[in-house]
Amino acid sequence: MSYHYNESFENPDYHFSETLEIDRRGSSQRNQFSHQTPYDSSLHGSSGEHRGREQNYPVAIPMASLGPGSDYSQDLPRTGPYGNFTDSLSFEPEPEETYVPYSTFHMLDYPYTHGISSGSEDSFIRRRNRRPPDEIFMPSSNMFETDPVCTEEEDLVGSLASMSTKERIKAIQKMPETMRKKREIRNKVLKEITKNSRHRGAQCTQCLQGAAVSFRRFGNTLSECFHQLRLWHKTLKIIGAEFGTSVLSYFVFLKWLLNLNIFSFLINFGFITIPQFLAAQPNNLSFTGLELFTGAGYFQQTVLYYGFYTNATISKVENGPSYNMQLAYIFTVGIYFVICFLILLFSMAKFFSRNINSQTLSVNASKLFCTWDFKITNEKAVKLQQKNLHTQIKEGLTEVNKEVQNFSVMERVAHIATHLLAWLASLGTAVAACAAVYFLSINNLELFMKGYRNDLENQSAMLVLPVIVSLLNTLIPFFFSWLGHLEKFQTPGQHIYVTITRNTILKISIVGILCYYWLNIVATSESQCWETLVGQDIYRLVLVDFIFCLLGSFFGEFLRRVIGTTVCISLGRPEFDIGRNVLDLIYAQTLTWIGILFSPLLPGIQMIAFFIVFFVKKVSLMRNCQPPRKVWRTAQMMTSFIFLLFCPSFLGVLSVIGVTVWRLKPSEECGPFRGLSSVYAAVDEWIQILESYTASKWVVWIYHNLISSELFFFILSSILLVVTYLYWQIIQGRKTMTELLRKQINNAGKDKIFLRKKLVTLQRAKRSSSAWGGRGQQRSASSSRQPAPEVPDYPERAFDRNQNTSYNEDWK
Amino acid sequence: MGGSASLIPRDLLSEYQELTFLSKQEILLAYKRFSELLPKEERENACSARVPKSQILTLPELRANPFQHQICHVFSTSETGDDSMSFEDFLDMLSVFSDSATSDIKSHYAFRIFDFDNDGILDRKDLEQLVNCLTGQGEESQLSSAEMEQLIQNVRPAGQGMGTSPGTGLSAHLPPQILEESDIDKDGTINLSEFQHVVSRSPDFASSFKIVL
Repeated sequence: MSYHYNESFENPDYHFSETLEIDRRGSSQRNQFSHQTPYDSSLHGSSGEHRGREQNYPVAIPMASLGPGSDYSQDLPRTGPYGNFTDSLSFEPEPEETYVPYSTFHMLDYPYTHGISSGSEDSFIRRRNRRPPDEIFMPSSNMFETDPVCTEEEDLVGSLASMSTKERIKAIQKMPETMRKKREIRNKVLKEITKNSRHRGAQCTQCLQGAAVSFRRFGNTLSECFHQLRLWHKTLKIIGAEFGTSVLSYFVFLKWLLNLNIFSFLINFGFITIPQFLAAQPNNLSFTGLELFTGAGYFQQTVLYYGFYTNATISKVENGPSYNMQLAYIFTVGIYFVICFLILLFSMAKFFSRNINSQTLSVNASKLFCTWDFKITNEKAVKLQQKNLHTQIKEGLTEVNKEVQNFSVMERVAHIATHLLAWLASLGTAVAACAAVYFLSINNLELFMKGYRNDLENQSAMLVLPVIVSLLNTLIPFFFSWLGHLEKFQTPGQHIYVTITRNTILKISIVGILCYYWLNIVATSESQCWETLVGQDIYRLVLVDFIFCLLGSFFGEFLRRVIGTTVCISLGRPEFDIGRNVLDLIYAQTLTWIGILFSPLLPGIQMIAFFIVFFVKKVSLMRNCQPPRKVWRTAQMMTSFIFLLFCPSFLGVLSVIGVTVWRLKPSEECGPFRGLSSVYAAVDEWIQILESYTASKWVVWIYHNLISSELFFFILSSILLVVTYLYWQIIQGRKTMTELLRKQINNAGKDKIFLRKKLVTLQRAKRSSSAWGGRGQQRSASSSRQPAPEVPDYPERAFDRNQNTSYNEDWK
Repeated sequence: MGGSASLIPRDLLSEYQELTFLSKQEILLAYKRFSELLPKEERENACSARVPKSQILTLPELRANPFQHQICHVFSTSETGDDSMSFEDFLDMLSVFSDSATSDIKSHYAFRIFDFDNDGILDRKDLEQLVNCLTGQGEESQLSSAEMEQLIQNVRPAGQGMGTSPGTGLSAHLPPQILEESDIDKDGTINLSEFQHVVSRSPDFASSFKIVL
């Protein structure tokens, strides 16, 4: 920090110590002399005065400023000793710094490091350099190129060679270079590596390399197999091409749920059902076909339901290894939920971390830079997207032009009153729906208690509850969206979120009341096997929900299209309602999760249902719908969907399962847990048995000291809290950092403008003193086009900046 | 895949895999699609042939894209400047637009694609052209110059000091316009790092900057 602006204010070197990389090139962009193609200038400092300027900044790109001296001096007399100073200083530490991102792949670092720095000039120039280079400056810049490039490349190759194979491949992949250049670099790196490895124990490494190669080959074949399995790649591509990323995200979500269900079905089938088959008793109930809808009758005595599973220990061979059904049941379900929890947690973390920056989202810039969906390849869709963007931009502009409307007190009161009324109405509807479901279900239970009669009347009576529930779930959302239209929200975003919230409340409360009915009323009833009854209920709900989903796409999309294109043409084709459809999926998944304990094969049924829904929705979308008019904030929507799936849905299911496992008494006469006081008692018994074996003492120890001890959980949660607090502090620190750095950049920009102005005045003074120098005149005239508005209050800001810098250093 | 697999030598294929973000299947598919663009007699050595720009633009993935010319231009290594593409250029392009490419490299190339005049910065003209591409080239769909001005705004007319342009005082409480929010060092243009900064804050970018073959 030995510079002072007084000494060097006419020398751009000034920025050297305190400026961030970001403005290094930005500063000279308006420079009229930089006729060269910029991309090479960005890479190796280009030529001309432009180069001169850049030369003196410690550019993050290593090759940018290695060249000693600069042609800056051709036009302007270089002042003071700083030129040499910077030249010698500016570059030494840079290469390492630049490569840091590659060796660590620290994502936080990247916004300001420029892509990749590599000695890739030749092809790069060839690619970029369409215009003839400036004749005056080119030779000199060529002179500079030769030397730095070599050292640069050596540096790069050296750093790449020191990486592990995987890292190296990644680093090379990440270079924004042509294939040829990348290959060149790679070959050099490989040569370097072989050279190095010759010094060490060559044989051993070769042996290891051979193993690594074969291992990698194995991995490749494996990934190829998975690639072949990649479901519906083409379908998804077509959907993305015609409807854009937002609609695609629904299908991706559906596919994700489908995979989850396939996984859960495989576990349940493998660990619970197959062993049960070995010990199965013959089923003597008759099958009529109607059972497919009700799930009762014949199915009662199959592996579909909890009640059929045995509590025995299965062993086919005398004295051989045996299989304890109780433990298998509880551990399979338990481990499945733990895995689900982790999957959800990680995908939520992934989405959140991706979105964490978007709070201070720059609306217009990102609208321009990020909204174009390159996936859309359908010509009509492209036209539509352009039209939509056009209207959006225009709307944005008119919003800008409009003054923020000042509502009168009366209007405001009216607004609030309508919102309140709408909320009251929607909550009231939800409560009414819950009440209806509750009384209906109590009615239903009485029907069951009367005994099992296999006639049509009884069976269809069973279907009343699920049909009513599905009807409520389908119709009330229409009421909600109508309410939303009445309310006249100020932004469409508000409308969407409020509607989604109301729908979620409705669905959750309906599921909640059903759970209450199952756990508090069915479980304490006199029925023979209440778990099976609950399983049947859920089976019917899932099935009817699936049928309603199909009907929904028939009435909601097909008929709507027919009406929209023939009867009432102004309506047009319907749009695909992503929010409603995703909520339906979440609801279905919630039911499946609740049902797993009572009907272990439910994921299999849901899997088939999702599979069919995928195709039906796809066909319906292709035939009936038009691409969405709004540009959805896709990433944010996905985050909130995953969050919804986690927060009310999954956590609610966990509490239901928890109550069932720990608090409720299993039925006396059926199921794997018959005769126990609670499901969890099975684990307790097992631990007691284990205590008698010395070999498994550690399991007992873990059980007593970790799983069933409060102290452990207390310590665990306090550690978690501390870690969270630490991270929160780090985030706060980073925010302050960002603010300071931003200020710094701003100041640097102002400095630059100030310096440019000084430069111009100096040049002018010089020009007036010496009559010759037509070229210089021209130059300064053109460079003066960049205005230098106000003369900043200099010493103060310099001080300010110094403060910042020292502060930053503290932070580091 | 069998037929086309034999046409790319094994080691070349693995090299491509190492140098791009593409998987083996994707490379083979790319090869198939690329050789279909060539006339029959040249298909034997598709790896070394160049496909003219007009042929490349017949790909359905690019045909309707408003940035098609820029994409060709950015990824072509043609020495004559006719924007023709070799197979490797084609792979480069697909690699950048693929699923697994990092958003860093995506934003790098996005910047180049949006930089219509190839001067290394997004200035006013680039932004105007970008807006025109986004809203369509038709007469009625283009924004008027006043609207454009307003959208880009912060570009100060020559001779006016910064912070004193008539727009800023008026728009103090309004959402910032493009340059105002992305031009961090306030020099009136957007450079690569500023661009990457803006784009990195938009989670939608990586998901929309994709072309699937």
